[in-house]
Amino acid sequence: MEIRWFVGLGAGGQPEQIAAQEAVVEAFNDSHDDIQILLEIVENDVAYDTLSTQIAGGNVPDIIGPVGRDGSNSYAGLYLDLEPLIDSTGYDISRFPAETVENFREPDGTLPGLPFASYPSSIFFNTELFDEAGLPYPPQEYGADGTAVYGEGTEYEGTWDFDKVAEIAAILAVDANGNDATSPDFDRSQTVQWGYINQWTTLMFAQGTHFGAGNPVADDGTADIPQAWEEEWAWYHDGIWNGGWAPSQEQFDSELLSGNPFSSGNVAMANTHLWYTCCVRDDDGNGLDFWDLAVMPSHNGTVTAKMHADTFRIMAATEHPDEAFEVLTYLLDDAALELLNAYGAAPADPGLTDAFFADLDTVFPQGVNWQVALDSASYTDVPSHEQNVPGWDEYKLAMADFESAQLSDPDMDIAAAIAELEQELSGIFAANAE
Amino acid sequence: MSTTLPTRGGAADLVSAAPLPSPSPSGKPSSEDRLHRRRGRIGLWFSMPWIVGFVLFYAAPMAASLWFSFTDFSLTSPDPMTFVGGDNWVRLFGDREVIDSALVTLKFGVLSLPLTILVPLGFAWLLTAKQLWGRSIFRTLFYMPSVIPFVAAVLVFNGVLNSQTGWANRALGAIGVPGPNWLNSEVWIYPTLTMIALWGVGNAMIIFIAGINSVPKDLYDAAEVDGASTWQQFRTITVPMISPVLFYNVVVALIGLFQYFLVPFVLKNGSGDPGGATFFYSMYFYRTLFRLQNMGYAATLAWMMFLVGLVVTGLLFWSARYWVHYEFGDQS
Repeated sequence: MEIRWFVGLGAGGQPEQIAAQEAVVEAFNDSHDDIQILLEIVENDVAYDTLSTQIAGGNVPDIIGPVGRDGSNSYAGLYLDLEPLIDSTGYDISRFPAETVENFREPDGTLPGLPFASYPSSIFFNTELFDEAGLPYPPQEYGADGTAVYGEGTEYEGTWDFDKVAEIAAILAVDANGNDATSPDFDRSQTVQWGYINQWTTLMFAQGTHFGAGNPVADDGTADIPQAWEEEWAWYHDGIWNGGWAPSQEQFDSELLSGNPFSSGNVAMANTHLWYTCCVRDDDGNGLDFWDLAVMPSHNGTVTAKMHADTFRIMAATEHPDEAFEVLTYLLDDAALELLNAYGAAPADPGLTDAFFADLDTVFPQGVNWQVALDSASYTDVPSHEQNVPGWDEYKLAMADFESAQLSDPDMDIAAAIAELEQELSGIFAANAE
Repeated sequence: MSTTLPTRGGAADLVSAAPLPSPSPSGKPSSEDRLHRRRGRIGLWFSMPWIVGFVLFYAAPMAASLWFSFTDFSLTSPDPMTFVGGDNWVRLFGDREVIDSALVTLKFGVLSLPLTILVPLGFAWLLTAKQLWGRSIFRTLFYMPSVIPFVAAVLVFNGVLNSQTGWANRALGAIGVPGPNWLNSEVWIYPTLTMIALWGVGNAMIIFIAGINSVPKDLYDAAEVDGASTWQQFRTITVPMISPVLFYNVVVALIGLFQYFLVPFVLKNGSGDPGGATFFYSMYFYRTLFRLQNMGYAATLAWMMFLVGLVVTGLLFWSARYWVHYEFGDQS
């Protein structure tokens, strides 16, 4: 019997990843006469179209992944509930932190995924730019209540919150004449160095969650953008167009930042996830050594470190759920470390984290404080910023349009734009409500 | 002097010009008839690869997409496709984004369409001037952009036109002129897109050059004898004589306008920035099909684009009788 494993929605398409996947498949197939895994690897660019076509054509693979929550949402409702299989086989899920398991539970109570990889978010900061500006590094330890202190014992001392981030970012943003963004002579159209960015996590629901988790769907099914998100959206827009410490879209597109802003060396702080270790590298793939991790700033006394999680999912249309579950557990257990290393993914299983970070240390020998990432996992966003909503793909597009305007329009009236967005989202939610 | 101008029915004329076989007096097919039919069958066999390809890859998908436009077909929905009658078409006529994106296409077309015809025509005229030294070199230089992959060219433009770090504004700044925000201003984006479009007019230019070179020289000689100026010669001889070529380029440019997608997509990743100014109709179609995977509604959008294109092209063909001149009379 063949179990089809579809790869391409997330990681898995790079040559070394393909080799690792082929190796784990070969190992499984060699040790099983009754079940054979058939690996299908599709380029990420066309993976969604390919899978959609397969689903529409009734040619559904048995297992898909690794895939994040965002990627999974496009096919919400098409996954098998794993709980009956966990119960019937006695599969031990106690080794995963309970909250990471619950993170996969759907509002209807089903459990269509199990933890495989998790990526907490933190602040990646450029040590060289902080040194150059004579500023203390951002804090690397959360306080008892989660909040941290910046620049203890210095003139900059204060709570490590987003106001402090803006204050420090303004000092770190520099124009071509050497003026920083606190100077009246600062020319934001000539900026050559920026203080703070959201690195590849700019969609509005992600961005807004830095100020606090929330659900954009009200109890009555209409759209209601969480207050924390509204505050963050206005804060970041102000940072681009008034503060000058965050780049606009055009500046992102410029040769100073294009492609990989933080790795360009022209950005002091980047708010992003642990998966970014994939790419803090030079053109030859060697790890860059000018950075370290800092804890997430707070907002109104609350710290939120949004989380990304990858998993494998069994499609509900599978004709062989028991065999597919056996393959799934193989990927989560025996093959996990080999796959995680290939994907550059942080293990959801705490028992595997030491080996994972030891591997990263060989790439980034400067001694990155990985404990920050581990600690950030305690401040995960609940509900997840990627929690499914009715009409997920349309919701994402509406959020992307808002983001485009935020990054491109200096005169954007955030409050009015939010009112418009809520109206649009309410229409989307209503049209897609079950 | 013998000249060959493009005609609309060249191949058909050749067929109709062939002598038709006459039936034999006995009513039985003559050997000439049989030969003619045999040739017809052989011709059909030779055409078969194209016919099969056309049916499989054009006709059948078009028929399928027409059917989809009356369904709720979605690639991501586990539910079977159902017939929804004219729901998609009703939605289309009330869809604000259809109107907005069509207006974006129209606005861009008003600016770019005349220029993408007139500029290559102007180049062709200049590059066929007797007085021009090194015509071949100039023709090669003007045509060269057309051989560069357009996606690569657009990416280069994206860098060159960056208002902060691009060469264009650096050059303007060097002479004391503040450069505009080429790519992120609603005022400048259409001139910018038109400029990028003009960069690749080499193909149209070559066709115009071929047209101009085919105009009988004796017409110009006669006009010169009559004292016509260069402009008068261009207006009263060149333009009418190359009007079939002009017509061809207008049709191609118009269809290109309906399909205009690559440049704004590469520059703006389909976002429609700035302020929705690059959210062309084709972009909305792409978004509906590939981002939302709503095949039913996307098929409706595609058919509407086809129908509008058909009507506009039809009008253009109808108008051709008033301004397109064929050397050997009406070729319709």
